Amino acid sequence: MANTTWKTYLKPLASLQLTIVLLALLMGLVVACTLAQVNLGIFRAVEVYMRSFLVWWGPASATWEIPVFPGGALVGGALLINLTAAMFVRLEASWRKGGLWLSHIGLIVLFLGEFVAGGFQVETMMPVEVGQTMNYAESNRHAELVFIEDGATEDTVYSIAPSRVVEGGLIQDAALPASVNIVEYHRNSKVMTAPVLAAKSRANAGFGQQVVAQAADPAPSEEQNIPSAYVELKSSKGVNLGTWLLSTALEPQPIDIDGKPYRVALRQWRNYMPFSLTLKEFRHDKYAGTEIAKNFASLVRLTDPETKEDRDVLIYMNHPLRYRGRTFFQASFGKGDTLSIFQVVENPGWQIPYWACVIVSLGLAWYFIARMLPARRSA
Amino acid sequence: MIRAWFAKLLILALALTGLQAQGPRPDAKAFGALPVLHNGRVKPLDTVGRSTLLMIRGKQTVRHEGQTLTANTWMLDLMFNPELADKYQVFMINDADVVAMLGKRPDEQRFFSLKDLEPKLSEIMEQSEKAHQVENAVRDRFQRAISSLGEKITAYQRLKNSLQVEDTTDLRMELSAFGTALSEGSKAFQAQQAGQKFDQGAMDRVMPFIQRYQFIAGAASFAFLPPAKGGSDHDWVNVGNSLLESAKTGAPHPSVLPLAEASHAWKQGDKAAFDKATAALQGILKERLPAQTFSKASLEVTFNALEPFYKSTLLYLVAFLMYCFSWIMYEKPLQKAAWWVMLGTLALHTFGMVTRMYLEGRPPVTNLYSSAVFIGWFAVLLAVPFERYSKRGFAALGGCVVGAATLVIAQSLTGSGDTMGVMVAVLDSNFWLATHVTTITIGYSATFLAGLLAHIYILRGLLSSSFTKEEAGVLVKSAYGVICFALFFSFVGTVLGGIWADQSWGRFWGWDPKENGALLIVLWNALILHARWAGMIRDRGLMIMAIVGGIITSLSWFGVNMLGIGLHSYGFMDQAFYALVGFAALELLMIGLACLPPHIWRSKIIPLSKN
Repeated sequence: MANTTWKTYLKPLASLQLTIVLLALLMGLVVACTLAQVNLGIFRAVEVYMRSFLVWWGPASATWEIPVFPGGALVGGALLINLTAAMFVRLEASWRKGGLWLSHIGLIVLFLGEFVAGGFQVETMMPVEVGQTMNYAESNRHAELVFIEDGATEDTVYSIAPSRVVEGGLIQDAALPASVNIVEYHRNSKVMTAPVLAAKSRANAGFGQQVVAQAADPAPSEEQNIPSAYVELKSSKGVNLGTWLLSTALEPQPIDIDGKPYRVALRQWRNYMPFSLTLKEFRHDKYAGTEIAKNFASLVRLTDPETKEDRDVLIYMNHPLRYRGRTFFQASFGKGDTLSIFQVVENPGWQIPYWACVIVSLGLAWYFIARMLPARRSA
Repeated sequence: MIRAWFAKLLILALALTGLQAQGPRPDAKAFGALPVLHNGRVKPLDTVGRSTLLMIRGKQTVRHEGQTLTANTWMLDLMFNPELADKYQVFMINDADVVAMLGKRPDEQRFFSLKDLEPKLSEIMEQSEKAHQVENAVRDRFQRAISSLGEKITAYQRLKNSLQVEDTTDLRMELSAFGTALSEGSKAFQAQQAGQKFDQGAMDRVMPFIQRYQFIAGAASFAFLPPAKGGSDHDWVNVGNSLLESAKTGAPHPSVLPLAEASHAWKQGDKAAFDKATAALQGILKERLPAQTFSKASLEVTFNALEPFYKSTLLYLVAFLMYCFSWIMYEKPLQKAAWWVMLGTLALHTFGMVTRMYLEGRPPVTNLYSSAVFIGWFAVLLAVPFERYSKRGFAALGGCVVGAATLVIAQSLTGSGDTMGVMVAVLDSNFWLATHVTTITIGYSATFLAGLLAHIYILRGLLSSSFTKEEAGVLVKSAYGVICFALFFSFVGTVLGGIWADQSWGRFWGWDPKENGALLIVLWNALILHARWAGMIRDRGLMIMAIVGGIITSLSWFGVNMLGIGLHSYGFMDQAFYALVGFAALELLMIGLACLPPHIWRSKIIPLSKN
């Protein structure tokens, strides 16, 4: 009896009509997102149409906006619920329907995989020059606030993670040489000398006395943003160190904290790895007699003190290096073919789409073949 | 064994095309069969000539004073007898404003020779340069036309200056003069180095030659001189560079002298001397190149001459007409004949595609052109089992139409030159080209075929009172099956694309326009099937939605390339835009017809009460 009750509640959620409406809405969104890319760029268009619950619209000049269409997250979420509900309510367990079961399970897995990627994927870049050894990758989408203590052989870096670098953030930590109060933070900014912007800087120490940061609209892609912050620093002994302007557009600034020299900076977040890569050789092959690139390949030495791994790896187009949860892709190059740039991706769910694809394909093939067989017999 | 077979094919092709040429003209065809390095690939000169002529004139032949010249003859005239070739009207100009610039009306003249363009040449190149500064997607019609004309002139001039400087009167004399100047010059140079008395004039006399060869070293559109035995493609060298090199080493490339002979003989119309020089060049190539390179080049010449896709287009149309007539009269015999015509054409189409795959060493789909060839091929292939099962001519007719239409599209995509170009680095993966690109293209084929079946259903249903419910049922069943097939392949293809993206830049899904286009096809096919299962649509609704599927597929196939964004956009196509709009309009008209109330339909396949 109880069984029937929850089925009655699930029924509307599992309706085929709802599926069709959602599929149509999703198609509308995909079309709009594609067309919007011409003006907004891919990153912004995806933000507006796909990674949102509602699509907002307002006249160009107005400051108000109203929701005009459900966003990708809403439609996708509803489809996921619809799909799951359908499996419990509508699909009977039979061999004939087995293919449909499988393909719907595969779709759910695919959706979940995208959710995992959206939530946990970390993308960073790693430029390495020939002969150079790197043990970190940088994110040009996140900024960290650091105090650097210069050492004789190694520098000591005190870092405040990107997630804590927000406007109004007050970071007091005994491990840090100073406490930080972020009084102003801009995701994207224009950083120029004070006379050019005809504005007065809030800073009363460091470069900020000559330079001003002004808020700017977010760039079409996150990588082009120049984050800046005005921060009040106080040493652990309680000495007020003034207000500083920090920005990824500025070099680390020398600062004296309780008699010890440091440098302070807002810089691209560095993601350190427990192993290192040394670029031994970079190759940029071209087709004979042309400037058309045929292949980019980097020969690197992978050295891992923990696992004692020490070997040569060739990273080239369509052949990334996967090692300890990180994947290194040949992304770009520069400096007359002496610099290789890798994209480094950490995605715990990178295998999910592969499995989803296999499950859905098997399911669809099963269903269609099962449908065709009796049809042929009756003919 | 295989070489002998190729040779026979070659002779056959020669015999077929030889009928056109009259009189003892030098053998342009044999010269065209010589392999050269062009745009990163070793190919017969024949292909260079054809693709350049196709790019500037839109055809593979030239009309001049009532005579039809082959691409090879035109190319040889251009390289060895440019004064004559500059009078051939090879530049096709369709834009009224550009034609007006030349002081003509478009209905007066469409084809222009370089001589015709000469008075305005600097202005054309200046305007073209200006248009080039404007980003491709925002150029207006005139800017696109003038920049395209500029590109054509550049390609023409580069081809002209590939083997010798265009003002050369006799290459043999020039080279011997160069040799003399060089030996005297180097003597003078050595004297100067040794601090002795030297002849400044002898040194100065070398300079004009060096300048000439530097010019053709930069201008040449292909490398003519083969590497030493065992060398790689990178060791091919063009005539200019080779001559500059020989200024240092003193030893000219062995092909240079026969080339000079050929140049002179062609200009003089001396058949014996020209054929002898060609044979000498061929001998050097055969000695130096691997046998496979040579046999591939011969096969390519045969392939070019045979034009399998052009002939397939015509034959598909013949089969199409036969099926159409079969519904009026002689049903059985006509359908049987049409069936065999279609199968024969499919074999020719397959031959063409497999030859291309062999020549390129690639899976079938590598660019837009080959995607069109493949979509048509697969649609016909898919139609075969459906036709065997239903035996009404519907599926076969649909296949023929998709086959012919996509080959016409392919033909119109050849404008940019050689269709077997090299692949840029990220696409250089036979595995992914074979899996992702092929599956997604199969999805396109199936969606188009389903749309075609819907056309037959609607047109016959509307117009023919003899169209029975049973026949309609067969069509609907076929269309349903094809849509299922399309959903499977477009889904698998889309996901494989995601996996490729994950492999090459670590992002499974990036909302790139082409990805979105593929996703739309998947969603639409899924939507059709769900609507059918939900009972929201019946036969007619299914057919209407199948037509919409065709529109969506064409937008995904071409439309996204026109946005000019994303990783998949390989070039803006202006004419294609109007073709696409026209296609969509026609399809919408068809949908409009399908929506006419049942009592207007001459057949009684739709129940009068509902849908």
